[in-house]
Amino acid sequence: MEATTQKIELSVTVNGTRYERAIEPRMLLSDFLRHEIELTGTHVGCEHGVCGACSVLMDGEPVRSCLMFAVQTQGREIVTVEGLGTVDALSPVQQAFHEAHGLQCGFCTPGILTTVTAFLETNPNPSEEEVREAISGNLCRCTGYQHIVDAVLLAAKKKQAS
Amino acid sequence: MDKRLIGKRVVRNEDPRLLTGQAQYVDDVNLPNMAHAAMFRSEYAHARIRSIDVSKARAHSGVIAVYTAEDMGADCYPGPPLVSPPPTVKDVIFNSRRQVPLVKDKIRHAGEIIAVVIAETRYIAEDALDLIEIEYEPLPVVADIEKALEPNSPLVHDDLDSNLAAHLVQKKGDYESARASADVIIQRRFTIERGTAAAMENRGIVAQWDAKSEALTVWDTTQAPIPIRNGLAARLGLSESKVRVIAPFIGGGFGPKIMMFYSEEMLVPWLAIKLNRPVKWIEDRRENFYATTQERGQVHEVEMAFTRDGKILGIKDDFIHDTGAYDPYGLTTPLNTQSHVMGGYDIPNFTSEFRVAFTNKTIVTPMRGAGRPHGIYVIERMMDIAAKELGIDRVEIRRRNLIKPDAFPYEHGIIDQAFAPLIFDSGNYEAVLNETLKAVGYEKFIKEEQPRYRAEGRRVGIGVLPFIETTGVGPYEGARVTVEASGKIAVATGVGTQGQGHFTSFAQVVAEQLGVDVTDVRITTGDSAHFNWGTGTFASRGAVVAGNAMHAAATMVRKKILKLASKVLNAPEEELELEDGMVRVADIPQSSISLSDLAALANPLRGAVEPGTEPGLEATAYYGPQYGPTAFGVHAMIAEIDPETMMIKILRYVVTEDCGTILNPLILEGQIHGGVALGLGNAYYEKLHFDENAQLLNASFMDYLLVGSTEMPRIEVHHLETRSPLNELGTKGVGEAGAIPVPALFAQTMEDALYDYNLEIRETPLNPNRLFEIARKEKTA
Amino acid sequence: MKLSGEYVFDGPREEVWKLVRDPEVLMKCMPGTQTVNKISDSEFTGEVTVRIGPFAGVFAGRVIISDEVPPQSCTLTIEGTGKIGFLQGVGAIEMTELEGQKTLMKYSGEAQIGGKVASVGQRLFDTVSKSMMKQGLDTLNGFLKSNAA
Repeated sequence: MEATTQKIELSVTVNGTRYERAIEPRMLLSDFLRHEIELTGTHVGCEHGVCGACSVLMDGEPVRSCLMFAVQTQGREIVTVEGLGTVDALSPVQQAFHEAHGLQCGFCTPGILTTVTAFLETNPNPSEEEVREAISGNLCRCTGYQHIVDAVLLAAKKKQAS
Repeated sequence: MDKRLIGKRVVRNEDPRLLTGQAQYVDDVNLPNMAHAAMFRSEYAHARIRSIDVSKARAHSGVIAVYTAEDMGADCYPGPPLVSPPPTVKDVIFNSRRQVPLVKDKIRHAGEIIAVVIAETRYIAEDALDLIEIEYEPLPVVADIEKALEPNSPLVHDDLDSNLAAHLVQKKGDYESARASADVIIQRRFTIERGTAAAMENRGIVAQWDAKSEALTVWDTTQAPIPIRNGLAARLGLSESKVRVIAPFIGGGFGPKIMMFYSEEMLVPWLAIKLNRPVKWIEDRRENFYATTQERGQVHEVEMAFTRDGKILGIKDDFIHDTGAYDPYGLTTPLNTQSHVMGGYDIPNFTSEFRVAFTNKTIVTPMRGAGRPHGIYVIERMMDIAAKELGIDRVEIRRRNLIKPDAFPYEHGIIDQAFAPLIFDSGNYEAVLNETLKAVGYEKFIKEEQPRYRAEGRRVGIGVLPFIETTGVGPYEGARVTVEASGKIAVATGVGTQGQGHFTSFAQVVAEQLGVDVTDVRITTGDSAHFNWGTGTFASRGAVVAGNAMHAAATMVRKKILKLASKVLNAPEEELELEDGMVRVADIPQSSISLSDLAALANPLRGAVEPGTEPGLEATAYYGPQYGPTAFGVHAMIAEIDPETMMIKILRYVVTEDCGTILNPLILEGQIHGGVALGLGNAYYEKLHFDENAQLLNASFMDYLLVGSTEMPRIEVHHLETRSPLNELGTKGVGEAGAIPVPALFAQTMEDALYDYNLEIRETPLNPNRLFEIARKEKTA
Repeated sequence: MKLSGEYVFDGPREEVWKLVRDPEVLMKCMPGTQTVNKISDSEFTGEVTVRIGPFAGVFAGRVIISDEVPPQSCTLTIEGTGKIGFLQGVGAIEMTELEGQKTLMKYSGEAQIGGKVASVGQRLFDTVSKSMMKQGLDTLNGFLKSNAA
């Protein structure tokens, strides 16, 4: 147990801001984001990598922040939900979720938004089936997914139009 | 211009904050000097604690304190009984046994808390859990609800003679004579097993004690912040005004988050005071599987009496309901089952008897559906069986028995979960059925499509069935509506919100009365500092009970606005109109005043407020129904199944819902989609597997399967609106509706798809493996 | 949870029995065994490290041998507790002589598991216990053969 309390210097960029912190090597990335640098938009739903609520982007790729140690992000670029858009300037994906009612309690939403943002970069014009496949690693207990699927299809349309 | 806002597809006010990570949930509360709690829970389901030694945990670096029941002393006593047994039913037995903050001597289910560690970080607190040394004396386990009530069963509560928690009989008419005159009697047994609500957010509590002002603030993932505030004040010996309970954004509720006074809810605020430090406890997913309440376990022995042409003469239903180790929530769930066993049918004779059993399992309290899916499962399975035995089409036999539109209000002569008479207020059931049949293309499917599929060797089945949902029960909710000096409207209500869109649908109700934009109405829910009367969000009652309180308060404010504006503008009230945040004299648009200016006039700094008037443009109103409105719906499903793997593909899913006046169809559809998803889980994916020692074997999302995006079909939602005569808005609840009929519908559809197997499904939840076993058994039988 | 199976040893029954009753040998055979203490002829305690999926932990255990009919059969009562859960089991071992100096061991038992091992690990428990059993018996058979050589 002694070894775990030895702190390690971490330097990571989150949403464009560089953070330098001395942290325990066992600290999860999700805990680092939420409690160390207080970006609480990333949520933790299962702590075992199934629900996808904690998904963030690392160098543009979705990762489960509950399955990673913060120290693994040394020198990387992380984007969380806070980095996608703001209340006054929603990203096209966020705007589409608003218009299509793609969220209810909002707890799974940050992980879905980051996943979908990355997905639409690689597949800008997806079919419904591809959308369902793309979000199949994100659990939602409120929506039954239909309005989420609608929102992703709408976001694709919005991004193409812009 | 159409000034109606109620009924519009308005996008949600709360979305921008939720979409950008700015909405606060309980685990987002980070306070200076905050300590973190971790719970030491029992691994045994039934055991005596021989000894416990926490000294090593206490000595661990970074640990602030460790408490056992003994350390808690006289403060370690059970939570309050939440719901008493119905006073109006004769000979009711109810043995109230409630959970304690920390268990002292006997463990009654796996996951009960024995000790709590408080440390500088959660990591350290969990390290210290490993240092606690405990010795158990394992006891024989009560795992099965039927065996629980056998005379030789081990006892969950040693001070009782048996594991009987409750017993209640309700009757309508005379079943025995109905039986004597029946052409056909059908008897069956149905088993319904447990699932979990699995809100994506686990539970959590943060408590902060301010010793100087003797004030306690608690952030709690509760659906019922006001009762928690009142209960905590009583428990901790504080004035209610010194306890503030905030239910901020909640990541899904679905029932279990209204279980008032979970052990942790009693413990964490107590710790914050004891230690004089803010304390946070956040449940992890594995704890959620053990420690958050569950639902669905029942066994029914049913008998129905029919005439030859399919008319129901009566039902007799005996069932056992599993309450788990304690029964803090009274009889809500089994009473709901009783209310739904008659479905939407005209049934003259009814006898229902239930026994509630204590078992060594997690506590049972209502979960989305709350006893209703059980009732609907039983009646609708029986209707399918009757249709087959009597040789009547399954839609036709239902049509013959549905309550007719002129029979409302339809009195059942029994009581519902709120102890009010079970009365169905209004409805047009057959119209909803017809709408669904048309939408799903029932006739065409049966006559043309299904024969074609079958000729191709494909097993595609259709299911159609109706259900009722009793909703919107009392006692009451309240709301306060204020026109602020900015001209914006502030609204507060006591109910909590867990994603239902209250910030929008309630805003629509208020905005329509006051002639403002929906976005100019700011709703505060679930903060006892803003509104401190109310009960909570449960029983599909938010839109009905709080919604009508909103409406009443907004109507009162509208009157105040008109009265004052009439004076200011020197025009009679009848000639005034409220629009765009202004009060205008009709036809003279230049003669107007903004709500902002009017609010300032109503709350002046100088001059005098006239006798008999109150300052401000504000009103508080309450709504409490005598009994709740009953919604109705019909679901239909077309699904294909592969008999080799029992994998299914749902080709169509149609819902027609009649929940009275629709406040916001967008939100309503979202509620139905989510309900159906949970219902599908209850039908084919989700089951808590307990072994014979009441050990839960699938306490993770790896093994407990929630429905994902690829399992869900697209759901087509249709609406009919039969206004409820019980309330001003004409609304009925809909929150739980989506989930209620799905297991019954799924069973019917599978029997139809696997037509050559001669299946009769009498259990839920199923899964591919189990369905394969049943199908093989029935085929070879 | 039920566990049963059989194993054929390449040695005579008396020899197998001797090895089975020797704590030193058992300690070497049982994968992950840290210590074995002989309390009496029929009672042993010890510590075993077990890894089941994402969990690893030390189980402190006790084995009691009863109904002993040397060299034919006995009953084993096993108790183990650790930070990742607990295990209690009763098993029966029966050995019969086969032709060619071989011995057939049949074992069957029932185990009760609890804690993390049950709630998260049960899916893997079956496989893990079978593979541990196989590994242990193979090692035992190895001793048997080297003793004979």
